[in-house]
Formats: sequence, structure tokens, C-alpha cells
Amino acid sequence: MKMSKTVWQYWEENAQHKPDADAIIHWIPGQEPYRWSFGSLLATAKKFSVVLKGSGITKNEVCALIIRHNPYFYPLYMGVSLLGAIPAVLAYPNPRLHPEKFRQGLEGMAQRSGLDWILTEAPLAGLLKPLLERERSTIKGTHLPLEQNFEDADISGFNVPTGINDTDPFLLQHSSGTTGLQKPVLLSHKAVTDHAEAYGEAIRQSENDKVVSWLPLYHDMGLIAAFHLPMIYGIPSIQIDPFDWVLMPELMIEAASKEKATLAWLPNFAYNLMADKIHDEDIAGFSLSGIRMLINSGEPVRKKSHERFIRKFAKTGLNPSALSTSYGMAETTFAVTQTCAGELSKEVKVNRQALAKGIVKPEPENENARICVSTGTLIRGCEIKIIDNQRNELPSGSMGELAIKSLSLFEGYRNYPEKTAEAMMGAWYLSGDLGFEMDGYYYIIGRKKDMIISAGKNIYPEDIEDAVGHVPGVIPGRVIAFGAESEEFGTELISVIAETITDDEQDKIKLKTNIVMAGMDIDVTISEIYLVPPRWLIKSSAGKPGRSTNKERIMNKEENIKWKL
Amino acid sequence: METMITERFKKTVLKILKISDFDMDEDTQANQIPAWDSLNHANVIAALEDEYDIRLKNIEILNCHNMGDLHRLIDAKLERKKSK
Repeated sequence: MKMSKTVWQYWEENAQHKPDADAIIHWIPGQEPYRWSFGSLLATAKKFSVVLKGSGITKNEVCALIIRHNPYFYPLYMGVSLLGAIPAVLAYPNPRLHPEKFRQGLEGMAQRSGLDWILTEAPLAGLLKPLLERERSTIKGTHLPLEQNFEDADISGFNVPTGINDTDPFLLQHSSGTTGLQKPVLLSHKAVTDHAEAYGEAIRQSENDKVVSWLPLYHDMGLIAAFHLPMIYGIPSIQIDPFDWVLMPELMIEAASKEKATLAWLPNFAYNLMADKIHDEDIAGFSLSGIRMLINSGEPVRKKSHERFIRKFAKTGLNPSALSTSYGMAETTFAVTQTCAGELSKEVKVNRQALAKGIVKPEPENENARICVSTGTLIRGCEIKIIDNQRNELPSGSMGELAIKSLSLFEGYRNYPEKTAEAMMGAWYLSGDLGFEMDGYYYIIGRKKDMIISAGKNIYPEDIEDAVGHVPGVIPGRVIAFGAESEEFGTELISVIAETITDDEQDKIKLKTNIVMAGMDIDVTISEIYLVPPRWLIKSSAGKPGRSTNKERIMNKEENIKWKL
Repeated sequence: METMITERFKKTVLKILKISDFDMDEDTQANQIPAWDSLNHANVIAALEDEYDIRLKNIEILNCHNMGDLHRLIDAKLERKKSK
């Protein structure tokens, strides 16, 4: 059997062959970027490794990194790995997230993933203290590595741990969800390096490529596509703070133009946001002519979002055929399908009503047909079959669930055998995504279950329903949450239907605000609230309020909802 | 402490966020205001620009830490406009 190299070997080779070449260009608005070369990055990573070892962290322990946009994040992350420990990047809590909710989420994750250490910043240490003091806590401690003297660490005799080969665990990613619903995805060195090789072929990666990204590194697209792939290929990656990008989306255009970036990955909502919210004067003089692939991934692709983006940025020299698409997930390391470089994404017009019933009926002449944008063809080492609810394979052109085989498939959910078994059908991973295949191209339509995909984030409706169900005035257990398509934002927005006995207008106004605040506590924005009287929600066969039936009643305006605020 | 956040400012922000009422003062941060998230941020700024007929640059907004800073930025723009 062919042995793959470890990720470490790629890091070492790049540091040896191009020690002074740009590796990470850490972008800071209004300042000169901080530049790591491949040589300096690896040397600093080794220093962190020495310091962390001295702090008691050992091989195979899981280290959560909860750190904001910081130039030392990258060598720290690599330093954890070089120790033989398993890094897991987690989101730094948004101030709107309730501290107890954050702790609960982390605790659930720690018990599930076997989180051993938390590497973070001083301001968060106080918030985490109660968590560490809890009797059941599995977390051994927190470290503040950025405050330690790592610069003076002696790395003269540094060696990576022995006995680790390509199939050993390399990193841990957590799927979305706010509480105990996160699934820890374990990836080996081999999964990451094999994926880098196969995906590199699909995008025709070259040594002249340069990545620009504002994607958070706790997300698979940010971590794999915008960090690990460039570090393996030996090409630079420009890293922008996601929080800065939200406030200043033109930062990505500025960075791409100044650094002559060629590659970027974006979730669909970003195309709308950048097309609609950037003033022309803020990008005057910038050029996107160097971009050869702008890859839409992470949520279903909308044709109108691409059209808006092309119209907006035509004056920057953007090549319309640079707009590409891809489909992937953390469980397959990242991509499964990808459009060819330089080729426009294929589209197919299908009957909307038939599609809603799961039937793909092409209608090329129908002006009201839904335009489905393809996510491309299979990358090497991947297979997809479309299956029905009984797991029978369906013929080409049929809609069903995508079951996936990949050479870079995950090692299972860590410490979660029952969830792993649920997600697998032999060697096939059951994605939970619905779509179809036509002429070798794959089209993703939505999710089999009720998961909401808003602004590239997967959100479980159960989390929202639980939070809203605790708001005084809402009848517990009588809430449903769902995603509703927004053309303006190019993503799904979150709606809630809640039963209440309140009929006073002022009380309803207060109740609505409290429901929005309950969403904020779990870092979710609820855009529409429908307050309905008791027993309005129709139950499903499981005895709970059914999401799809009740969503349909609201969206199709089958009912006269007087209580919508 | 007397708050300098005007009703006009508050109403503009809350209207675009579809929030009926919320107490805010100088120290209130955007992420404490219901529904002010990454998707809505640009809409709030656009609503303030329309209301006051001014242009707020994103780099200026990036330096605002709370509603007091944002309000002062708007006031300064209005002053400059008046003196022209």
C-alpha cells in the first residue's frame, strides 16, 4: 500500500525549499500586513511546540484553540500538531453569546470529543474558570501560550514525535450546532494530504497561486481550503479577520488586488453582501483581474448571487468564468465535486413545483423554472450515488440523498460510534444533502433533514426551538424554527413560529423582543417571528409540532396570521 | 448618566432591525442590539446614511466601539456638512 507523507513533511519541505517565500500574509486593516515566510513560520511553530511540551501537553491529547485573529495563531496551531497532539480550532465567543451557553457548549464538546486542554487568551480565561472547576470536567487546564516566552525556546534538537504515521489522527473539526449537537470530525494526515493532491488537480493548482480568505478557521472551508492546502502546496495565503470583513467587505478586494491573489472560496451569501454593500469609491483602482477561481461552496449556490457579483465587479477586471462552484463537507476533509478551472458552472432549468416534490423535470424554455447551478464533477478519488429513503440507488436525473465515498473520508466522529454508524452505509457516507446528477454534473438542492444553512453556518432548528421555548410567554415545546430563502441576502433567514396565550398587543411586542434576545444568547439572529394561539401548530406523527407542514402553512399564507409582528 | 443617543438615531436603527423597543446608550455595542448581526450590519449603516444624508466609510465604522462612537461620527459628519 502506498504511504502518504505526513502533513509535517510538507511543512518541512516548504521551509527547506522556499524558506523566505511568503506563507501567511496576516491582514490588518489600515496597517502593513504581518508576513510569515515558510521558514519563519515553521521555526516559530517548533518554538511553540517546545513551550507546550514544557507545559505538560503530550502526544494524542486534544487541544482546543480559542484565539482571535492574531499573527501567532498559525505557528501555535502548527506547534500543537508538531507535538503529536490534536488541534481543534473553536470559535472565539461572540460577545452576544450568553457566557453560560458558551460554557455549556464547550462542556458538551469536551465530554464528547475528550477535549484535554484549552489554549486561549487572557480575557477568556476568567469565563472558562467555572467550567474547569466543575466536578465532571474532563478538561485538564487552560494555557495562555501567546503570553509565554516562546521566542527564546531552544529548537536545536527538535524532532517530531516518533511512531506517528500517515493514518494517525491529525486534526479535529467540530460540525455546527450550539450545544451538545456538535459532531467531532477526526481527520488523519493521509486524509488531508490525499485531499490536497486530488483537489489540487481539480483546481489545476500551480506554484503561482495565492489564496485570499476571510473565512473563519474553525470552519472546514477556512481551515482546509484557505490554510492547510496552501501550507501543503507551498503557496501564500492572505488571512483577513472575519469580523473585519463583515464591517469592511472591501478588505477582500483590497487584499486580492494588492497581493495579486488568484484563488478564494466563499459561501453564497458573501456574493450578495459584497455586490450590494461595497461602495464603488471604496474599490476604485483595485483589480480582480488576477483572480482565476472564486469558488462558491458551503451553502446551495444561487445563480442570481453570481449575476449580481459579476455586474458589480466587472469594472475591476474580474473574469466572469472565474466564478466556480464546489461541494464538500468536513467529513470528506473538504471538496467532493468541483467545476473545472475556467469553465462556467453548468446550469439546468427545472420545474419548480415538481422539484418541491422531489422530481427533476427539465424545462429549458420555461421562464419561471428554477435555475439549478451545478457544483461541478467528481474530484479524483470520490464517488457519489443518489439514493432514495430506502437507500436504493436512483438513476441519473433523479433527486435523492447524496451518499459519498472519498479517499479523504474522515476516521469517524471521535468517541461517538453510534453517530458514526448512523452516518455510514458501509463505506458510503450519508451526507444528508439532497440533490441530483445529470450528465456527470452534480446539483445540490437542500438538506434532507431540517438543518438551516444561514450565511454559510449550519444551524440546528432544535437549538433555536429549545432557546425560544424557555422564553416566558411562549408555550414550552410549542415552537418551530425553520429557514426561509431570502433573495436579498442570498441565504436562508431564520423564522420562528411560537404558540402563546398572550393577546395583549404590548405584551406581544415585548415577547417578540425577548424571543430575538433568546436567539442572540445562542448567537443566532431570528428574522421573522410568528406568534400564534395555543394548538395552532400541527403535530407530526412523532407527536411534536411538524416543521415542514407548519412552515408551508405560513409561507403559502394558507392561514391568516393576525399575530405576526 | 445622561445618554446622548438621540431618539432619531435609535428609531432608525430599531426600525431597520424590525425591533419595537430596546434601550441603548453610549456604551451599547452593536452585538448587544437584537438582530444586529453580520447580515444586517450593512443595512443598519445604509439606513443611518439615508436618514442623515451622509456617507459613512467602513474604515471609520471599524474604529467605532459602541453606539456613542457611531453617534459622534455622524455628528461630526453633519457638522462638516453644515460648515461647507
